[in-house]
Amino acid sequence: MKKIVGLLMSLVLLLGVFAGCSNTESSGEAKDGKKKADLKVWSFTDELKKPITKFEEKNGVTVELTIVPIADYPTKLKPVLESGVGAPDVFTGEIAFLKQWVNAGYWENLSEKPYNVDEIADNYVPYVFDLGKDQNGDVRALSWQTTPGGLFYKRSIAKEVLGTDDPTEIGEMLSSMDKVFEVSEKMKEKGYRMFPDEGSIRWFAQGDNPQPWVNEKDELKLTDEKIEFLDYAKELRENSYTALAPEWSPSWFEAMDKPIKVKEDGKETETEVFSYVLPTWGLHSVLKTNVKESNGDWAVTSGPSPYFWGGTWLGVYNKSENKELAYDFVKMMTQDDEFLTDWATETGDVLSYLPVTNKIKDDFSDEFLGGQNNYKFFLEQAKNIEPGIVTKYDQQLDTFYGNAVSEYVDGKKTKEAAIKEFYRKAQNAYPELKVPKN
Amino acid sequence: MKNLNRYGYFFIAPFWIIFLVFNIYPVALTFYYSFTNYSGSGVAEVVGLANYQRLLTDTFFVEAFFNTWKIWGINFALQIGIALILAAIFSDMRVKMKGLAFFRSIFYLPNLITVSSVALLFGILLDWQHGSLNIVLMNLGLISQPINWLNEPATAQLSVSLILTWMWFGHSFIVVMAGVSGISKDYYEAALIDGATRMQTFFHITLPLLKPILLYIMITSLIGGLQLFDLPMLLTDGIGSPDGSLNTMVLYLYNQAFKYNNYGYAAAVAYGLFIITIIFSAIVFKSMYRNERKQARQV
Amino acid sequence: MIDRTELEKGVPQNHESEKVLLPHEMKIKKRRSMVKGIIYALLILMAIVCFIPFLMMLVNATRSNDAILTGFTLIPGSSLLENYRTMMEYVNIWNGFKNSLIISVLVTVLTGYFSALTAYGFAFYEFKGKNGLFVFMLVMMMVPGQLGLIGFYELSKTLGILDTFIPLIVPAIASPFVVFFLRQYIKTTLHPSLIEAARIDGASELRIFHTVAIPIMMPAVATMSIFTFIGSWNNYIMPLVILFSPEKYTLPVLMGFLKGSQVAQNLGSMYLGIAISVVPIMIAFLFLSKYIINSISAGAVKE
Repeated sequence: MKKIVGLLMSLVLLLGVFAGCSNTESSGEAKDGKKKADLKVWSFTDELKKPITKFEEKNGVTVELTIVPIADYPTKLKPVLESGVGAPDVFTGEIAFLKQWVNAGYWENLSEKPYNVDEIADNYVPYVFDLGKDQNGDVRALSWQTTPGGLFYKRSIAKEVLGTDDPTEIGEMLSSMDKVFEVSEKMKEKGYRMFPDEGSIRWFAQGDNPQPWVNEKDELKLTDEKIEFLDYAKELRENSYTALAPEWSPSWFEAMDKPIKVKEDGKETETEVFSYVLPTWGLHSVLKTNVKESNGDWAVTSGPSPYFWGGTWLGVYNKSENKELAYDFVKMMTQDDEFLTDWATETGDVLSYLPVTNKIKDDFSDEFLGGQNNYKFFLEQAKNIEPGIVTKYDQQLDTFYGNAVSEYVDGKKTKEAAIKEFYRKAQNAYPELKVPKN
Repeated sequence: MKNLNRYGYFFIAPFWIIFLVFNIYPVALTFYYSFTNYSGSGVAEVVGLANYQRLLTDTFFVEAFFNTWKIWGINFALQIGIALILAAIFSDMRVKMKGLAFFRSIFYLPNLITVSSVALLFGILLDWQHGSLNIVLMNLGLISQPINWLNEPATAQLSVSLILTWMWFGHSFIVVMAGVSGISKDYYEAALIDGATRMQTFFHITLPLLKPILLYIMITSLIGGLQLFDLPMLLTDGIGSPDGSLNTMVLYLYNQAFKYNNYGYAAAVAYGLFIITIIFSAIVFKSMYRNERKQARQV
Repeated sequence: MIDRTELEKGVPQNHESEKVLLPHEMKIKKRRSMVKGIIYALLILMAIVCFIPFLMMLVNATRSNDAILTGFTLIPGSSLLENYRTMMEYVNIWNGFKNSLIISVLVTVLTGYFSALTAYGFAFYEFKGKNGLFVFMLVMMMVPGQLGLIGFYELSKTLGILDTFIPLIVPAIASPFVVFFLRQYIKTTLHPSLIEAARIDGASELRIFHTVAIPIMMPAVATMSIFTFIGSWNNYIMPLVILFSPEKYTLPVLMGFLKGSQVAQNLGSMYLGIAISVVPIMIAFLFLSKYIINSISAGAVKE
């Protein structure tokens, strides 16, 4: 009996200790958790944190932001929207699963009254506006950004190895995959690595022939360019052009700013990474937040082929009880001249809202990029975006294909076997797809 | 007193209400879904045995089945082996080891940690380029190349097996010790007098008498092993890579249901898993039972 | 049921009496102590292997990201506070702790009380269908939890209790295994005459249960509670499926969340997060280890 009492006491004690801890912890942020918020927002990054603070100040309301990591985001959000329990008033969608969601009917139809967003369609970069439409052509979600891609590199290394740090000249040196490999070799000779990992070049794999994963006939299409990417990735690895720092891993982030150790062929070498293939948002939400020392030493240029990557859309949950306020937030994020001007100049994010971009693009310059006008550069790149390639299968198929690539690169599978495996996985996850049988 | 017996119903009522609602009904509902193409929303269309037909020819499920067995098998052999050796050491009357309580606690410790913490911890300790384990092994000169533990099917499965062993051998050891302490001392004293060697004592007295306990460990471990989910899920971000080698049956079930929205098929996977569990539990029981009968005849 | 003194001793004792040792016996003794030394060394090595992942975790929790990437050392770093701040910016781990604790404690209490109630009902009343129900319960005991997962999820959706603790706590009222264990226990420990005596004193049936049966069942309930608590504490797939809002996540789910969040960019913060999820359990174990180990032994032997 004594022991049981002891046990219970310890449990109670434990409970007390942690309740105590959590109380002190949460008292600081009671705003987010304890008090009932006027507006609930769900997203997969923390980029809305600042806008939300602004929105709160402006309207005198409280907003609760819930951030769910992107891998779990669709899985978690779907049942919430389905059941309406604890559902957000506003939620964001990433381009990889955007198609699925605009058609799922969770977002309020913004083409209807009182929103009538079609009237302001001309204010947006056309593809951004179009991607937010469902199969009937009604707008379900809007976005404030456009996300053409670039290649960010370090000026100091460029000067040392390539003799120049001028974005146009560097872009010229990287205008084809062959040229990229030439530059990679030069980097290697001087002890640098071209890219952090093999996945870096996947966006160039589309080449001049961007195609959707799945066409209208539900056929899974693996283009020659995508297959070629396998070889390019392998070549990168075999020639030691990368720093073996997988995307989003701690070493990937670390290598942006500091030398990094690479273990290969039984020895350890210290090296620096020359370039990161990132789109517009990569500048403010990835590079700027992780780079301290090499601030100002960066520049952006174009790679062998144009691409776009990601993008956040947002809309109003159709069962929200607070649609007016919810739409106010969407409006601020996507149509508020003043807010968007501040946002763009603060972060360097490239907007899709033309009234603002036209105003600021000519004399934009970013300190982080050594004063380069990244705005003009990216808006130029944005013209090449082919929105037709977005499908609802993208998130899973990208994952499967990325897996196939790394198995080939690691030498665990032949090219054919890796592709076959990819087809198998795609078919298994989506039985309705027509998958090549060979 | 007879009228008091109706209280029995009151006493068991809460249990049965909850049991019916939260246990039986879900199991039945899952059974129903396994005959439909339910996708998580909308209507469930009955498709007959299509899901089960697919299950029988599903190479991923078969792979998951063998993966689960491989991972569990290696782990179980190691775990029970270590537990028995430890038990033999600590129960030896001639050596008289001290510190049982201490070692038991230390060995058991990993079992108490939340599996997801364990998965996360090993996920970063086993990292190829920068994991502390590779760094330490290289510094000690034990390996010259960093081992990409979680990137090679064989090492990935072995890693999970070893993590499971690390987590569970202490538990098995405790249970085996409990069994050993239940064996009458007379056997050992008699053996000592007869001049039996240590090995003889262990194989002819300890092991046979431990059979019920070993059966218990095996069955519970098997049922748990076939449901292996947390470790592969968190070590591979739910993908089951490399090369599908960490794709276990429950991970497959989870992905089919909650990632690909094939609820109907996932329900069939659940029943497939259930049938497999029953079959193998029965085989274990049977083989143990048969051995006992054989021995009885020999005596 | 459990002979605790026997369990605590753990080892069969022998009765070797003290006597004068002959020379060849001396030799044997010497050899024996050498073997013993080697065995101890091996055991200690194993203990170190058991503990080293935790040690690496603790050390790395105090080091900065780039220090961890460059190499490993046993000397703690000075980035503990910074790591803590980085982690708390994205993930409130204490909140996960609180949630896990609330759920696990309630599950343990509910399981203990209602299982005792049910076991008592099965053991001391005669009613129609009793044996049928009991056998049915035993059969259902064999059904693994994952079998009903999809149905359970759909049910919770229909009842509107997704993203709440209810589906994680309330089903604990029905725990067949615990009922089975407790019924076996109380059948052998509580004599019906005690109940009769209480009835003659005029106590109500429920009162008899509370004042007579519960105290007698307490050791067995406590034994089972250990398992229930550990099981609930470690449960991963259920809360993963049921809970959506990060502020409601239990510790295991929060660990997965941690991996996907921005905290994962900083290894030091990751290690710290894991350490926080682990260390309190280790401390609790320090005080309760003997009890927990005895419960495991008892649970197995009772089988």
